Amino acid sequence: MKSMFKILKEQFQYFYLIRRLSAFEIKSENRNNFLGSSWEVINLVIQVAIYWFVFSNVMERSDVTLANGEKIPYIFWLLAGFILWVFFFKSTLNSSSSIYSRIRILAKMNFPMSIVPSFVIFSQLYIHIVMILIFVIIFHIGGYFANIYYIQLLYFIPATIFLILGLSLITSTLSTIVRDVHMLLNAVLRMFIYLSPVLWDIGKLGAPFGDIVKLNPLFYLLEGYRAAFFGSEWYFITHWEYSIYFWVLSILIFIIGSNLHLKFRRHFVDYL
Amino acid sequence: MEYVIELENVKKKYKLYKNQKERLLDLILPKSYGEEFYALKGVDFKAQAGDTIGFVGINGSGKSTLLNIVAGISPETSGSVIVRGQTALISVATGFKESLTGRENLEMKCLMLGFSKQEIDAMEEEIIEFSELNRFIDQPMKNYSSGMKSRLGFAISVMVDPDILIIDEALSVGDATFTKKCLDKIKEFQQKGKTIIFVSHSNYQIKQFCNKVVWLEYGKVKAYGPTVETMKAYEEFIAEFNKLSKEEKKAYQEKHKFNN
Repeated sequence: MKSMFKILKEQFQYFYLIRRLSAFEIKSENRNNFLGSSWEVINLVIQVAIYWFVFSNVMERSDVTLANGEKIPYIFWLLAGFILWVFFFKSTLNSSSSIYSRIRILAKMNFPMSIVPSFVIFSQLYIHIVMILIFVIIFHIGGYFANIYYIQLLYFIPATIFLILGLSLITSTLSTIVRDVHMLLNAVLRMFIYLSPVLWDIGKLGAPFGDIVKLNPLFYLLEGYRAAFFGSEWYFITHWEYSIYFWVLSILIFIIGSNLHLKFRRHFVDYL
Repeated sequence: MEYVIELENVKKKYKLYKNQKERLLDLILPKSYGEEFYALKGVDFKAQAGDTIGFVGINGSGKSTLLNIVAGISPETSGSVIVRGQTALISVATGFKESLTGRENLEMKCLMLGFSKQEIDAMEEEIIEFSELNRFIDQPMKNYSSGMKSRLGFAISVMVDPDILIIDEALSVGDATFTKKCLDKIKEFQQKGKTIIFVSHSNYQIKQFCNKVVWLEYGKVKAYGPTVETMKAYEEFIAEFNKLSKEEKKAYQEKHKFNN
């Protein structure tokens, strides 16, 4: 508990540093391209177009029914979940390698090492927000208009960041010690997309499998995003038991991550 | 007078693994795998404010390890390390982001050293002027020569006005005029009463600047004292050492290096 508050305090104390460093992060990744940071967006659009083509033309997925009984064309259902998945996937993966790839630059006295994964996550957050704006335009074209339920994004985005931050404290520490952890994470995440309701409505599989997959905290976040975009319900209130589960799990992950991080951070440089 | 740096019986252990398997076993099993190697075998060393201390010693004597411990970059395995004040380490081409421009790297480094936006804006021009990069400052650093990189590194480190300046071989790059400028800056630091630690293979520079010299040999302080005497002893040793045959040199190293 104590270590969690220590890490959280560092995040707030160095928030300006997180913001500036995340801006440099985006800049340095896309400096060589003429289109610069827009490649991040272009890439995602191409990916979505491929999924859409495969699943709606080749495999002919049917409409998906939401909690309030409304039927959503598969492509919009896919888009609403995919946007969150990409944010989760890229920031989890990048933050896992964040410490060992920068330790040479950052191994300075008094540098708060815990903000390294955070600024990597933040650099992905900017892209995520731009993508949400683009997708909202697409939803409007498809006839799904802005609604009061959009407000719950202000709850689900921070919830997502908190979960990723907790995970990143664990993965960035472990992959600094054993580089293979990063490779393993990459493989696990690629599998995870099929265990989450991103490409297909896994929750409709029926008991017991349909319930087991709900243990995945990403399930909660994905459904929350969809509830917001399609205005079906206040997801975190109607599913309050699930909200409690999500926060207990996320805080637990964060506590484990903080302890691991603080235990090893002084020795990171020796693991190079 | 108060000591700014106090090291007591500082040891630094590294593990030498034959292969990845040993490394993994050592991580997960309580039993120890791999060979232990002490880069520092109990170093005692104190420095007062205003001292300029040279570190000398042949390759593998632990100079860089000791520097990294004083600079707070790597932790000591045992012993006590007390460093009072902000340190700045200058070494050849220290961690820059190659894809960013010199100016962006400048801001990033200063941010990470804990300066605010206003302070950085105030220092920026002065740093660029000192580095003599002029128009190149807005070019990506991957196009810089090693001399340009270390000039920028040196410029940043001296402008942030640290209490303890640690210089690791950084003056061996750059032309004579820039080296002169750096040395002038070091003199300025000395006059302000700051502590400087200086590692150089140039005995001439050591003799010119340092008032004290630490002679390290295989992780131990062989001698620590005023420059003139220590350097005399060190130079005599080097002359003797160079006379040895290849086999004798090797035998000497083996004998001391792994002997704790």
